Amino acid sequence: MSFLGGGRGSVAPGTINQERVEMAMQELDMVTDVFNRLVSSCHTKCISTRYAEGDLNKGESVCIDRCVSKFFEVNKKVGEKLQAMGAGAAAGGGGGFGSAP
Amino acid sequence: MDLSQMNPAEQAHVNRIIEKKQMQDFLRMYSNLVEKCFTSCCNDFTSKALSSKEEQCVMNCTDKFLKHSERIGARFAEQNAEMMGGSGK
Repeated sequence: MSFLGGGRGSVAPGTINQERVEMAMQELDMVTDVFNRLVSSCHTKCISTRYAEGDLNKGESVCIDRCVSKFFEVNKKVGEKLQAMGAGAAAGGGGGFGSAP
Repeated sequence: MDLSQMNPAEQAHVNRIIEKKQMQDFLRMYSNLVEKCFTSCCNDFTSKALSSKEEQCVMNCTDKFLKHSERIGARFAEQNAEMMGGSGK
């Protein structure tokens, strides 16, 4: 009857599933944050502060493209590393704060 | 964040929040830009008014930042699309 993902029980179609909204908001916040940092970092690295003209010159344009590409790669690598560290810690730490009833 | 998975009430709720966040983000960008352009362009305090050189610098600074932001937005969307497509769902 209802197409709500994950089958979270009988939620009437007019109501708001707070958890799902919050998750969406968190994801949006994260993406916005990444974008803002990207704009700021690449501006510092690629745009000279002389401001001789109002348009991006060819060098700056190319720099921006490469900057975005590298930023995403760094993002990915750091994420992978943290995941690996997290997994390692979980395995090594054993049942530190395990599931003892 | 998949709006199609949400019912209309949730979608409306989320859209209202998104609008508010966009406004806040715009205001934040505006103040950042003012500070950035002021810091780079205005270094001569022998007069109260902006010299024409400083004014031109500020105009260029604003133009350049907006074009820069636009270009980054385009590349960002491309990268995101690649990431989503690549993870194959």
